[in-house]
Amino acid sequence: MAYNKPVPRKGQHHEPFWEGAKNGKLMVPRCKDCGRVHWYPRLICPFCHSTNLTWTESSGKGTLYTYAVQHRAFGGWGEEAPYVTGYIDLAEGDRMMTVLRGVDASKPEEIKIGCEVRVEFEKVDDETYIPFWRVVEE
Amino acid sequence: MPVAHELSRAAAIVGAAESNEIGFTPERGLRITSLQHHIEAIKNVSDYTGIPISDIDGVFSAGWSSELAEHLGLRPNYIDTTSVGGCSFQIHVHHALAAISAGIIDIALVSHGEAGRSYRGGGGRGGGGRGEVSPAELATAAFGTFGAPSQYAHAMVRHMHAYGTTPEDFAHVAVVTRQWAMLNPRAVMFSKETDPNGGPITVEMVQNGPMIAWPMTISHCCLVCDHGGAVIVARPEIAMSLRTVPVWIAGAGESMGHSNMVEMADFTATSAAKSSRTAYEMASMGPQDMDMAMIYDSFTITAAITAEMLGLAPRGKGHTLWKEGTAAPGGSLPINTNGGGLSFNHSGMYGMQLLIEAYRQLSQTAEDGVNGIEGKQTDAQTCIVNGTGGTLSTTGTLILES
Repeated sequence: MAYNKPVPRKGQHHEPFWEGAKNGKLMVPRCKDCGRVHWYPRLICPFCHSTNLTWTESSGKGTLYTYAVQHRAFGGWGEEAPYVTGYIDLAEGDRMMTVLRGVDASKPEEIKIGCEVRVEFEKVDDETYIPFWRVVEE
Repeated sequence: MPVAHELSRAAAIVGAAESNEIGFTPERGLRITSLQHHIEAIKNVSDYTGIPISDIDGVFSAGWSSELAEHLGLRPNYIDTTSVGGCSFQIHVHHALAAISAGIIDIALVSHGEAGRSYRGGGGRGGGGRGEVSPAELATAAFGTFGAPSQYAHAMVRHMHAYGTTPEDFAHVAVVTRQWAMLNPRAVMFSKETDPNGGPITVEMVQNGPMIAWPMTISHCCLVCDHGGAVIVARPEIAMSLRTVPVWIAGAGESMGHSNMVEMADFTATSAAKSSRTAYEMASMGPQDMDMAMIYDSFTITAAITAEMLGLAPRGKGHTLWKEGTAAPGGSLPINTNGGGLSFNHSGMYGMQLLIEAYRQLSQTAEDGVNGIEGKQTDAQTCIVNGTGGTLSTTGTLILES
């Protein structure tokens, strides 16, 4: 089935992210001066204000910071509701939003904050892949 | 005694008024524009204070100030369009205080008009350059959130994890706030007559309602209404010369933690800690000096977290102010005495509603039969007012004193 959910527009500061995603790599911006990873992409490091920025491949590992279950949704997401959204703390630092895979939206109490998650990519078209995070089975 | 801050009490709110028809206006067969809400409220506050509209020399609104000033035929000396969500109006008062203290203006108009229900999604927010893509879109657009409830639910879950709170704990905020709404005839949820879902509610009713974004059922979420409101801020010489009761701006502060929630460091803490600290220091007061509070309740979790940030309750215990009745009618720290965004009126940006009620309480006009019936007027002489904008993003805090 064709991907029928909103896709971020490809702004001019994002190219390495989309290129990486095509190849199953989660590319994140990193400051070459202070070394910290930030998300979302900036024109200037939000931590040390250096403009000496690069992109680095994330390990694709993280932990769940918090989550919620969406019961009111529209369009393509409406067909999937209820589903779990969440915020992921990346192993490399900073935080990323996601729709969480590998969980049961009807049993939200069983989802564990702090649990380990891994990134995976969902295909929109040949040029466009979206990262989602999945809870790792223990 | 510390030396008084030069901005503290350098201006007063001298009057407050609403537009003529607020709340669920489409249900009453009306279709009122945001502009009409603005103009009615401005006319009403001018009539209330006796200040001619032509005397206004500063215009403050969330994005609309040049249109409003033109519509009114004004040539103001100070134009402020700060539009950072629901707390914009607390921030406008802060800016008006500074502009008056600096001698730039004498009389500031802060105006709000928002047909949040009649023209839903019409919004008056500013934006970036046309066609440009914010880098933040990459972090937010793909991931299935729709509006404020879908985001705020994440904060409630984090609070539950960090402090062992439960959805039932937060439901008490909705229940107690409804008790206040039942003392405000203009509140949407005043009674079964004003809305089928109006009148008294219980924790069980809150928890059994339709789920919006777990753990928040619909009664954990604010209303979506129409509203217009205006307040006038004036320098002390003018404030003392009017027929209305001045409410002094003892302290003011503003801050922000983030714009997009993905940048929120701690989902159980907001910049209200910082904006209130600035306001308390300006006022030479602390949380223990507050007789009442007007706290933005876009959601039950917003009110609970903000109460913690304002120092009115320890971290993790904000909800206890409602659960234990402290915030309720007759309680020792009345909170959201108009019935709140949860049960009175929330139009999208609720900060003006907070200001108007704070003015009414401190000027002893909260029980006028129209905006309040017996039991609504408190004996408060100090009130902390905190607005929250965006997704727990921006905050503005005022400390008002009669």
